[in-house]
Amino acid sequence: MQALTQNTELEIRSDHICGRFAAMASPCEILIDSINSELGTQIINAAHQETQRIEDKFSRYRQHNLMDKINHSNHQPVAIDDEAFRLLCFADTCFELSGGMFDITSGVLRKAWRFDGSDRLPSTALVDSLRSRIGWKQVKFDRKSITLPAGFELDFGGIGKEYAVDCVAKLAQQIAPTVSVLVNFGGDIQVTRPRAKQPYWQVGIENPTDNKSGTAVVNIANGGLATSGDANRFLLKDGVRYGHILNPTTGYPVLDAPRSVTVAGQHCIQSGLLATLALLQGKDAELFLTKQNVKYWCFR
Amino acid sequence: MQLTHPKSVSAILAAASCTLLGSPVQAQETVEDWQFDTAILYYGESDRVQLVEGVFNANKDFGNEQIFNGKVVIDTLTGASASGAVAQPGVQTFTRPSGNDSYQIAAGETPLDDTFRDTRVQLSGQWTQPIAEDLRASGGLQVSKEYDYLSIVGNGSLAMDFYNKNTTVTAGLSYALDSIDPVGGRPIDFSSMIVDSGQFNNTDAYQQAFDDTRIYGSEDKDTVDLLFGVTQIINRRMLMQFNYSFSTSDGYHNDPYKVLSVVDQQGLTQDILHESRPTQRTKHSVYWQTKYALDQGVIDLSYRFATDDWEIDSHTIDSRLRFDLSETSYIQPHFRYYQQSAAEFYNPFLLESEPMPEHASADYRLGEMTAITVGIKYGMQLQNGHELAFRLEYYQQDPKNAGFDQPGALASLDLYPSVKAVIAQVNYRF
Repeated sequence: MQALTQNTELEIRSDHICGRFAAMASPCEILIDSINSELGTQIINAAHQETQRIEDKFSRYRQHNLMDKINHSNHQPVAIDDEAFRLLCFADTCFELSGGMFDITSGVLRKAWRFDGSDRLPSTALVDSLRSRIGWKQVKFDRKSITLPAGFELDFGGIGKEYAVDCVAKLAQQIAPTVSVLVNFGGDIQVTRPRAKQPYWQVGIENPTDNKSGTAVVNIANGGLATSGDANRFLLKDGVRYGHILNPTTGYPVLDAPRSVTVAGQHCIQSGLLATLALLQGKDAELFLTKQNVKYWCFR
Repeated sequence: MQLTHPKSVSAILAAASCTLLGSPVQAQETVEDWQFDTAILYYGESDRVQLVEGVFNANKDFGNEQIFNGKVVIDTLTGASASGAVAQPGVQTFTRPSGNDSYQIAAGETPLDDTFRDTRVQLSGQWTQPIAEDLRASGGLQVSKEYDYLSIVGNGSLAMDFYNKNTTVTAGLSYALDSIDPVGGRPIDFSSMIVDSGQFNNTDAYQQAFDDTRIYGSEDKDTVDLLFGVTQIINRRMLMQFNYSFSTSDGYHNDPYKVLSVVDQQGLTQDILHESRPTQRTKHSVYWQTKYALDQGVIDLSYRFATDDWEIDSHTIDSRLRFDLSETSYIQPHFRYYQQSAAEFYNPFLLESEPMPEHASADYRLGEMTAITVGIKYGMQLQNGHELAFRLEYYQQDPKNAGFDQPGALASLDLYPSVKAVIAQVNYRF
């Protein structure tokens, strides 16, 4: 029998298996609609390995990985593989769909903004200087390579975790096509298929406006669910609340954005992007979501 | 910020997700599938009407709150129904509504017309969609056809949400055109039933006498209904609804198959007359409903009061209590109580010695009565996500004497027999 890899846990519950590990700065949980511990071990090991692979490759906090090379390329082309190309294409679609509001080159703004609950807004000069290093349209890429203007950085933080959830779910589906598996990385969720004996999985999603009772229980039978937003990351100055969702074209936070948005869709990454695009709509977030004909939970 | 294609973002993202993940792109990503509800219902009165009904209901959400509902109902009625004539100490002979035949009713028995048999097909479609922020419009058409009856109904309504969708105000209008063309023609109001007891020289003479009591061809009735409603979310668990409705109808209201006995001082039948109802009716009704969500179930309580210018006042109390037995099954007891006063022109029979009223009907449905329904429903969600439910109910209708004396022979006869029925239904949703 296969042994669990390091830093993973497996618990056999009454009618399913729960596996856990930590990655991507989140608690990662895998629920398997089976009590076969051998199958559980196999899925959890594969999930852990796949998650580590994606984090190692695309995290901008690692050295000597693909992102590190791209972000320090100094206007030189960097070779990319098919997976990176597909992620860049997806980011490009999101940029187009959002009219430029979703921009994976906008991560540099974190150098100016620290959402620590204080009233310390950055200087206009700093924000303006960083804005000159943002602009997805100036990034050139094809199937083989990517070229960034000097001083530019890419950040897959807005899609990486959801992408990992979907990849792990796909892997689980390949290992056990007839078993329902739920992948939950800190509230970003994908279910591979409906459960056999229960109609759905029940998971709690955080309600950021209420720190005590905290969660709303969501029944999820199939598909993806993702949350964007963080109620605890904001600045407050002169009565104005600056949430952490930044508008890349102005360099300033989007005003009147919900504190968090949760969306249920077919895929985790699709849901995650809908949630993020909704936040970028500010006060019109609910209107946007309603038009999308998806199930959502919006907390203000 | 303005998104390029605000309505299709979800679909484009779904397709992009599939490309990213290397899984096949699924069509119709954001549009929900058709949902179907099917039901078979059996309603059986002891020794009287039996009804079997099949319902097929389809719903589809085309996205953006544009919802279509289509429904097909087919039912088949067989059995006998009280004709309105009173029981007698001796055998009675009646002519069938077609005029082609006659039947006999034994002494002491309530006269039932056993030719009561029909198949009804009803088709309806309803479309609902938003027309402005917080404002929805809905319109529909329904056509119902029986052998001797055609009904066409058109409806339209507006629903407006207020206070963060906690309050919804609804206004609706419907117009119905009913057209009846009874077997053997429409009897002339208060004409005598022609019974062939050998008094006619030949068939032609009988037919001539029968035809003299009849008007051939169809007759119409128009009905206009107005509805005003308020639905209010009281709190996280409770929802309340108030409706007022107004209905006015004009045209042929008679039941062409219903008759009245004319009796003498001894209570013996001297004549059988076809009924006569007013050609107009105006109804008002108010309705209140409360739903309360429990931790493991739902309480649903409603009350309706209706009054009309035929002087039928009715009260209906309906209660359902749903208990969730598990995550996927529930049980729901049902209790309904109904009470109505008699129509001003309701007469269980007419007295030969009294002057003829302007209108009269002995239809038990227009008399004073109480009715109760008790039942239970069990529903479960199947492993494939479909829903299966069973319902079993008992219905009893107890007509009451609204203060009519029963002269002579009628005194010892049961003129107000109870109607007892069993209702069984199987429902499957997928």
